[in-house]
Amino acid sequence: MKAGLFERLVGVVGSDHATMRAGDLANYQYDGSADRATPRAVVMPASTAEVAAVVRACVECDCPFVARGAGTGLSGGAVPEGGAVVISMARMCNILEIDPDNRLAVVEPGVVNAHITNAVKHLGLQFVPDPSSQAVCTIGGNIAENSGGLHCLAYGVTSHHVLGCEIVTPQGDIAWLGGKTADAPGYDLLGVFIGSEGTLGIATKVVVKLTPVRQATRTLLAVYDDLAAASLTVSEIVAAGIIPAALEMMDRLSVQAIEEFVHAGFPTDAAAVLIIEVEGLPESALEAAVAVRDLCARCGAREVREARDTAERERIWLGRKSAFGAMGRLSKSYYVADGVIPRTKLPEVLAAVERIGAEYDLRIANVFHAGDGNLHPLIAFDDRKEGDYDKTVAAAADILRHCVKAGGSISGEHGIGIEKRDCMTLQYGDADLRLMANLKAAFNPAALCNPAKIFPTKRTCGESGRLQAAVPQAADARLVSEPAF
Amino acid sequence: MPRGELRTLNLPIADELAGRSGIRPRVRPDECAKYAIADEVPKLVFSPRTASEAAKTISLLAHEGASIVIRGAGTKQSRPPAPVGVDAVLDTARCMGVMEYEPADLTVTVAAGTPLADLQAALRLRRQFLPVDPPFAAEATIGGLLSARSAGALRQHYGSPRDQVLGMRVCLSDGSVAFTGAKVVKSVAGYDIAKLFVGAYGTLGFIAEVTLKVAPLPAEQLTVLATIARVEDACACASSIASSALFPMATALLDAGSGSLVRTLVPSGAPAWMLAVRCGGSPAGVRAIADGVTRLFRTAGAQAIEMLDVDRHASAWSDIAELAGGSAHPSQRWLVCKIACLPTEVASICTAAGALPAAAHVVAHPTAGVVFVHIDARDEHPRRAALELERSCSGPHRTVEYLAAPLELCRELRQPLPSGAPLLLARRVKAALDPSGTFDPGRLAGGI
Ligand SMILES: Cc1cc2nc3c(=O)[nH]c(=O)nc-3n(C[C@H](O)[C@H](O)[C@H](O)COP(=O)(O)OP(=O)(O)OC[C@H]3O[C@@H](n4cnc5c(N)ncnc54)[C@H](O)[C@@H]3O)c2cc1C
Repeated sequence: MKAGLFERLVGVVGSDHATMRAGDLANYQYDGSADRATPRAVVMPASTAEVAAVVRACVECDCPFVARGAGTGLSGGAVPEGGAVVISMARMCNILEIDPDNRLAVVEPGVVNAHITNAVKHLGLQFVPDPSSQAVCTIGGNIAENSGGLHCLAYGVTSHHVLGCEIVTPQGDIAWLGGKTADAPGYDLLGVFIGSEGTLGIATKVVVKLTPVRQATRTLLAVYDDLAAASLTVSEIVAAGIIPAALEMMDRLSVQAIEEFVHAGFPTDAAAVLIIEVEGLPESALEAAVAVRDLCARCGAREVREARDTAERERIWLGRKSAFGAMGRLSKSYYVADGVIPRTKLPEVLAAVERIGAEYDLRIANVFHAGDGNLHPLIAFDDRKEGDYDKTVAAAADILRHCVKAGGSISGEHGIGIEKRDCMTLQYGDADLRLMANLKAAFNPAALCNPAKIFPTKRTCGESGRLQAAVPQAADARLVSEPAF
Repeated sequence: MPRGELRTLNLPIADELAGRSGIRPRVRPDECAKYAIADEVPKLVFSPRTASEAAKTISLLAHEGASIVIRGAGTKQSRPPAPVGVDAVLDTARCMGVMEYEPADLTVTVAAGTPLADLQAALRLRRQFLPVDPPFAAEATIGGLLSARSAGALRQHYGSPRDQVLGMRVCLSDGSVAFTGAKVVKSVAGYDIAKLFVGAYGTLGFIAEVTLKVAPLPAEQLTVLATIARVEDACACASSIASSALFPMATALLDAGSGSLVRTLVPSGAPAWMLAVRCGGSPAGVRAIADGVTRLFRTAGAQAIEMLDVDRHASAWSDIAELAGGSAHPSQRWLVCKIACLPTEVASICTAAGALPAAAHVVAHPTAGVVFVHIDARDEHPRRAALELERSCSGPHRTVEYLAAPLELCRELRQPLPSGAPLLLARRVKAALDPSGTFDPGRLAGGI
């Protein structure tokens, strides 16, 4: 560490909120992905001014830095590659203002996603984006990854629900992008900041939109003996002009894993199960449910049942949200891919995923946002088995190739980070990447703010090269241990 | 920098352009006159058919130091400030057509010069639509409406046009053609640079193609309409509807003057504010929404509550959209100002507009916090009224933007610089994407 930097950091946040102790640092090597790196130091500022002072100190010492929320990211975004200083948002976790009349709230970036909805539920309002990790992930992380969730088919992703952000720029200046009102004249810097994976600055305040809660919700479970029939149902529902609030798919392996883990009542002999949720006024929710039921049957569903009450509905969703955790039980480790395809291509791409699994001799479970065409193949592997991880990464890369070939994207909501940066060239050409690099340089010219993420290195996509941390990991060190969601 | 500062453009360049890109630009003044921007006749006009044709011409012109103004249907070219000279105009008219459309994917890719009306017609055949209702709907091109971030009242339910954009192919001043975003409904792969081009008024580069998210057309639509005497009550009513579980498609608020210009409506009784709520859904669903809206109208003390059937409904919303943009008024008469504020501030902005030292009309999207004030430019003091409006609207987070003005005013007016705007970042973004300053320099507030 550059001489004096740590002292300066302590001077900003106080000695209780800065650390260089190896044991502490080990807790910040991780996020939810496979790459690890040890930070030089960890600081926990409590205000925008402190974040700005920390950033300025880092810049003056030419030291890289990275913001960190809850560390649930699935692409290595918060991993402090190159020994970056970790700026944890853990102390900036206050809801600053709730304005029901204008249907907005102002929150600090460390606020946990679900806490926003919890705080406004009594007003009949909610913050819509609901990643499965919502019980722990932070709004700052959501902004960085433009997170989606179970209900983004009808309501959109994080960028549709954020009006403005106060940021600390990579130079340590404070700026507002957007605000409490719509359509600030000039460039939509907020639009490009959201989804920039923490490389364009650090969000220090966020204005989120609040949405009224719907009156009626109906949750259906459609069971299939044939994966392709389930895929067809997805396109048929949308083609019929019905946009369900959520439309999720689970294949046999994921259903079996989930059932063993939480007993959600899913049939373990099915080839695929769809969860379809429709919302609205009671009249329209009923009409939509009838229409969906009919479409499912016509596409070959073996059975369609509807949750009779809130308890049954919550059990279905608990099952869905436990999928990743359940996979963790089924195998030592698993790897989540996050490709997106046009939903009409689901049958062919799911078939390709199955082929890839067979080819590499890997078990792959599919549990995903089918309505959005956002696949989450969960590839099971055993980290102690020589070469298993490398094989997994190569298989994931093949899946992403298929997604791009089908006209899709290599990430729907988890971001590129470290994990997929060498796959960017599958989707983008030189001119496209140069445009991104120019944009990055406009915000982050010294490239100290979360460096090395997103942009391809010299490796190729699918070539394994997991970052290893220098400090040995303590057994209980992972911030994301057994996910409880 | 004044907008469009005239550079030295040597005209023999036209031959070279023709040789390199295969399209011959127009250089004859009589031909170019049709493409004048606020009376400034460009020296050269080119109409590329594809991104690569555009890129070749752009790179040559940029190399020559020329500035380029991009022109779609030309409906937003009376936005202040007026240019002091125009070198080249990129006319997007030949860059048109639906390129890819898969209804079940809810995505469509179009060339940027495609008229919105053509796209809507193509989508309607599959019972879908692009959920935007900007003014100038009959002429506007997709590229133009995105560049101007031109939103109508449908933004209440569907978001503003930026929310429909998934990906873009853009031509930059270095001659490159870049794709940004993706052609699927969700993607976090690299920066979402397409968002920057929405609302950039053509100052970053040329949007050649765009992939948009479309929506199913509701099976049925109808509109509930009422008059309310006090603007505070009308806004409170709009707010109660937006906070309810009814989820209408759109809400618009019109003052008595604007309301009287909606063709299908017969003004009834004393002049009052008019609140219109657009409902959509299944046959049973839409009735339920309309009933809910009617109940909230009654609670607010609304008079003359009326339901518009399909035909009157469509023409009423088209009139409302045109009124908001100033295009339904006799042309060149109005200074059109757009104020963004909190939804709870809409009533006081409307009141301030009524007290200006010039005749003014108001149309608002009350639930989005957007107010359009039209100041009569034939009045003695339109400029004074505009400055007065700027003053009374100043406040944290509020912004004022001039959308259109008659030529003389266009020459005098500057876009107000929003307080606290991140100008430094905006300048750096402009310099990074358009380092030669080719694309309409000076068009945006702050000389960007
Ligand atoms: C079990 C599980 C389920 C998940 N389900 C979903 C899902 O359904 N949908 C989905 O989209 N994602 C999902 N995720 C991924 C993850 O939860 C999201 O990406 C989440 O938004 C990350 O938030 P975080 O607070 O954990 O961020 P971190 O992991 O701490 O950081 C993520 C990125 O955000 C940056 N960052 C953090 N705070 C800030 C800030 N204040 N300013 C700027 N940058 C910042 C970091 O630098 C990093 O690049 C899931 C993850 C897990 C483990």
